[in-house]
Amino acid sequence: MNSIFMRSPEGEVKEVEATTAALTPLMVSGWTQVPPPAAGQKPAPPAKEEE
Amino acid sequence: MANISELLNGWGFGKQTAIGTANLVATIWRHTNLNTKPWAKVPVNEDDRAEIGKGHEFPTQLFKSHYNMPAYELSKYASSEFLAWAMSFSMGNVVVSGSGPYVYTIVPALGATNPTGLELPYFSFVQQIRPGGSAVLDEMLVGCAVKGWKLSIKNSPGRASAMCAVECVTTGQYTSPSGITLPAISTPHEFNAGMISALTFNGINYLTGGSAKQFVSMEASWENNFRPGFFPGSGAQDGYQIQGRFEWGDRAFAVQFVVRVQAGSTEYANLINLTTGTATFTMTRDANNSFTMLIQKMGFNVAELGNTDGIVTLQITGVQLYDPTNGMVTMTVTTPLQGICQ
Repeated sequence: MNSIFMRSPEGEVKEVEATTAALTPLMVSGWTQVPPPAAGQKPAPPAKEEE
Repeated sequence: MANISELLNGWGFGKQTAIGTANLVATIWRHTNLNTKPWAKVPVNEDDRAEIGKGHEFPTQLFKSHYNMPAYELSKYASSEFLAWAMSFSMGNVVVSGSGPYVYTIVPALGATNPTGLELPYFSFVQQIRPGGSAVLDEMLVGCAVKGWKLSIKNSPGRASAMCAVECVTTGQYTSPSGITLPAISTPHEFNAGMISALTFNGINYLTGGSAKQFVSMEASWENNFRPGFFPGSGAQDGYQIQGRFEWGDRAFAVQFVVRVQAGSTEYANLINLTTGTATFTMTRDANNSFTMLIQKMGFNVAELGNTDGIVTLQITGVQLYDPTNGMVTMTVTTPLQGICQ
């Protein structure tokens, strides 16, 4: 899975599947791309689209 | 003397770190341009004709005023590299994934969450004719921004069937000589209209099924409507005031397209029923080069009956609505080049 890390305006960092469907709502609501967290830091699991 | 064909153009594919800080050469690419004019610098002088106390109404003195830099068009055949650049610098909110090819996901930035407020990324523009000791022209314009673009898809053969023209503005700050040795000319991965692989507007698929072969042409455009960037402290070059920012105003995203009319055409019905839906336009050259424009919610504003080369057609003017979850439009570009707008 191709994924990237995004940070919310509130500072939450999570790994997100790098698809248009997954990224668009996050980008629209102010999430920005950040580098992967340093080793040892565990990010939230990848976001899944709702059924 | 020099022929205009000697003009070399290069500009930042990476963004400047600040409006007044030029691109480093490593983030500048060199491309051809179908616009055959150089980017003119226009310093403006003023005089004292309006001031009384001289004993007459005539001007007696000149004063330096400001750099009134005209907008400049980069006109190119649409390619994955150029579209990624144009969309990124015009909309500002960019996410990159992949490790080659690279996938750029781009949406319009919002002032509330954009780290630079109402300002978009800036780039430097280099123009040279016989650079070196006896250059006819060698300058780098610093603090350029993308004012808007137009993507044109036509019912014709070749690269001209998919064109992208980008209108740029600049502050007036420049360095001459540029100090830049431009890289070898880039070979972009260009598209043509035959590479369209998805073409569905508001529920009507113009690529397959009953509406296939209906599509004639499309023009999509983006306009940032920048506000003037002169303000106290905006800066000076050669004693002339320059602009110190380009802030977007009321941005406009327009889409018009022309389709052939056939029995059962649903464009009128969509217009009258206020039907809205997504619009997807994709060009795919290969696995490493593609472009998708996903309009989240499109309705039809006008459907005007006409004729195109003797065929009865409808010219549709779309209205792009803002969706609270997905925004207005998402551009997704796959290209081999890393670092665009980074």
